[in-house]
Amino acid sequence: MNALMIKALAFSAVLIGATLAVVKSMNIDLSDPINMITMIGAIAIAVLTFGVSAKYINQMKTDTAQGELAEENWDGIGEYKNELPGGWAYSFLGTMIWAIWYWTIGYPVNSFSQIGQWNEEVKAYNIKFEKTNKNADKATLTEMGESIFLVQCAPCHGSTGDGLSGKAHDFTSRMSKAQVLDVIEKGSDQLGYAMGAMPPMMATGQDAEAIAAYVAGGMKGEQPASFGVCAGCHGADGKGMGGTAPNIASFDEDLIVHVVKSGKKGALGVMPAFHDRMTPVQTKALATYIKTLGQGE
Amino acid sequence: MFHWLEKNPFFFSVGVFLVIAFAGLIEILPNFAEASRPVVGLKPYSVLELAGKNIYMKDQCIACHSQLIRPFKAETDRYGQYSLSGEYAYDRPFLWGSKRTGPDLHRVGNYRTTDWHENHMWEPTSVVPGSIMPAYKHMFTNVADIATAYAEAVTVKNIFKTPYGDEIQPGVEAFEAHKPAILAEAQKIAAGMKNQDVKDAVKAGNVPEIVALIAYLNRLK
Repeated sequence: MNALMIKALAFSAVLIGATLAVVKSMNIDLSDPINMITMIGAIAIAVLTFGVSAKYINQMKTDTAQGELAEENWDGIGEYKNELPGGWAYSFLGTMIWAIWYWTIGYPVNSFSQIGQWNEEVKAYNIKFEKTNKNADKATLTEMGESIFLVQCAPCHGSTGDGLSGKAHDFTSRMSKAQVLDVIEKGSDQLGYAMGAMPPMMATGQDAEAIAAYVAGGMKGEQPASFGVCAGCHGADGKGMGGTAPNIASFDEDLIVHVVKSGKKGALGVMPAFHDRMTPVQTKALATYIKTLGQGE
Repeated sequence: MFHWLEKNPFFFSVGVFLVIAFAGLIEILPNFAEASRPVVGLKPYSVLELAGKNIYMKDQCIACHSQLIRPFKAETDRYGQYSLSGEYAYDRPFLWGSKRTGPDLHRVGNYRTTDWHENHMWEPTSVVPGSIMPAYKHMFTNVADIATAYAEAVTVKNIFKTPYGDEIQPGVEAFEAHKPAILAEAQKIAAGMKNQDVKDAVKAGNVPEIVALIAYLNRLK
């Protein structure tokens, strides 16, 4: 063992010692395999760096030139004819064989696809979602509904659901007088209820005013006689006769499902359909949340 | 042969270029061919929508908004179906963007409406509390450059064979003949708006920028 080798070993020892000192002072948890591998890697780098440099420095000091010179000669600088190292040749051949495999089988058959990954991710999530939320209780649905509302509904209806001073439907009351009058005047055939289209102008003048005031007032107090024409479809209590017509007394799940599915054009403007952005469970959750905003059952 | 290359650096560079270019070409060309094919049912932008797209570029909406929904569940939940390359076939240039200070807009037409855009462009915080988007009130008075948009439609029809109908033809007469159709489309947008000045301007035959921009945003689905 010469002096060079001893110096190299000493340097390696210093580096390994430093690595261990860092591991100790930073309290790194070596039971975590990643930390363990990283530490072993750092030690291996220290040993290899000094081992390999010591070998070559040694070789430069002691080796003498030998071998057969190639014909070319650049300004007096020649080049030995060296055999291609066996390791290189075999790995080169190996990569060629691998390339043929990869080109013909490896890539086309097993190719990664972002869309495929998305499909799997969504499918796995949906199965899990269905399983955990099949019989979700009211608290879970309300919480879920609130987050859906904040993402999908709040930009138009406001984060508190108040409709941003008349820019969109106000969820704290069922309908305003102007909205009721607008529906009476224009009729409605857009929500896809079993009862079908509501014809325009079923009530006019004083009658329409009285109905609008009654419905907008939360259907409290004495029912105006003219409400009879509404009751034919919406029921005397205005609740829509078990889902065959829209509930005009309060928000119920049926109503939310229909509006989310079909969108709506009303006195305040247009609402797009949102059905492809929510699963049935999510729509139910949204309805549960909207009911808590003031006009629930 | 290799000795010869070693002694001729220029031809050596040419050789290196050819080898690398070959690998690049066989990777890139098939994707180019596929991307240039429009998805089924894709219609070219109407002249009004093109004018709106130009305003989108002029006011640099792309600096804060992307138009590319990646196939990740978190994105498709929020923005809708992931984007396909064929959907951009008539986008010249495409406006994918790379910065999302605001939300993605590739399918904004599915879940926002004319009157929402009107409120939002006039005063963003009136509909989205806490929004840092600036107001774009100048769009309500600036007049959109319909003639340039029409010229663009003529150009892409002639150069890239974008499938416009016979109504898109070169020349001032053809433009004047097509103008009523553009104004009719603008009137439809203005009918959904509340700003009386905008409505009056459209009636008088001037299309404010906001109308063209909303036509473009409604088209993004």
